[in-house]
Amino acid sequence: MIRVRLEPDGKILEFPRLNTVLQLLNRLGLRFNQVLVIRGPELLTRDRRLYAGDELTVRRVTSAG
Amino acid sequence: MKCKSCREPAMVDLPSHNAAFCGPCFLRYFSGQVRAAVKAQAMFGPGERILAALSGGKDSLALANELLEQDCRVSGLFVDLAIPGSSDRARAAVEDFCRARGLDLVVVDLAAEGLAIPEVKRRVRRPVCSVCGKIKRHFFNRAAARGGFEVLATGHNLDDEAARLLANTLRWDGAYLSDQGPLLPAEDGFVRKAKPLYRLTEYETACYCFLKGIEVHDAPCPYSRGATFTSYKRLLDDLEHNSPGSKFAFYDGFLNRGRPAFEAQQAGLGQGLSPCPECGSPTSGDICGVCRIRRLLRGED
Repeated sequence: MIRVRLEPDGKILEFPRLNTVLQLLNRLGLRFNQVLVIRGPELLTRDRRLYAGDELTVRRVTSAG
Repeated sequence: MKCKSCREPAMVDLPSHNAAFCGPCFLRYFSGQVRAAVKAQAMFGPGERILAALSGGKDSLALANELLEQDCRVSGLFVDLAIPGSSDRARAAVEDFCRARGLDLVVVDLAAEGLAIPEVKRRVRRPVCSVCGKIKRHFFNRAAARGGFEVLATGHNLDDEAARLLANTLRWDGAYLSDQGPLLPAEDGFVRKAKPLYRLTEYETACYCFLKGIEVHDAPCPYSRGATFTSYKRLLDDLEHNSPGSKFAFYDGFLNRGRPAFEAQQAGLGQGLSPCPECGSPTSGDICGVCRIRRLLRGED
C-alpha cells in the first residue's frame, strides 16, 4: 500500500499499487509542475519508481491569494 | 532522470529549460536566475537598502532568503490584514522566518490603521481582492519611503507576471501594458519596485523552499476563492504543458517587443501626481484611493 497525504487540504489517500510518480499524478489528475511529490527528504521527478510502504506528500504549488 | 550538471539523480524537472537538476545544482541554478534578473533589469546595486514584502508564502520567503544569501541589505515588511484564521498564521510564519535569520521586520497592522480587511470587505462593493491589493501597495510604498529604503522587492514570479500580462492583454489595457514589468523606477513619491523572481515559476520557488527547509504559510486566503487570476494561471499552465517555455517567451517577448510600443502609445497621457492632502502619498486624484476607503469606512462617503 502507498499512502499519500495531499497538501494543503490534509486529505489522506491510499493506493494498493502504483509503479511511478507519473502514474500517481495521472490518478490524481495533476501535472508534475503543479505539485511537489515528496518522499522523506527527497523531491521525486515523474519518472521515479514507487514502492509498497512508501509514504508520500503531494503539495500543491499554485498560490490562490 | 539525471541532473543536467552532475548526473546525480534529479529532484527538479524543468522541461522549459530542457533540464533536470539535483538539489544542490537546482539551488545554484535558482541563484543564477535571481542574479540574472537583478542584472538584466538593473534592479539594485551593492549597498542599496531593500525592503522585501513578506506574505508568509513560498515566493516572498524564497525571495528574502535568496537576497540574504546573496549578501543584499534586506529587511522584511509584513502587512497584517487582520483576516481571522489566516493573518495570524501568516504573521507567525513571517516572524519565525525573520527571527531564525536575524532579519529586521517592519509590521503594518491594518486593524490599527482602521483598515482591517474583513471590515473593508463588508463595506466596499468591488471585489475585495483588488481593494486589498491597493491597500497593500499603499502601505508597501509608505513603509519603504518612511524607512529610507531605495527598493521595494516583491516575490512576484513568472506565473504571476504572465497571468497579469494575459489579463491586461485580454482587456488591451494600454495604461497597464505600458508599465507592467519586473522593475518600476522611483517616481514622484513612489519608491523603486523590483520583482527579482520574474524568471522563476512558482513550481521552482516551491522546490527552493522545500530544499532550503523554509516553513511557509500555504493556506489560501479565505477571500480569494474564484479569483480570476487563478483561472488565467490554469490557462497558461495548459499552454506551458503543451509547449514548454511558452510562458517565459510570452512574458519576455512582451518586455522586449510589446511594452515599448505601449510605452510610446501612452507617453504624455498619464495624469500628474501630487501628494494626498490627508496622508501625503502620491495620487492622481483629490485624495488617494486608500484615504477614500478610510472615509467610506467612517461613513463620510
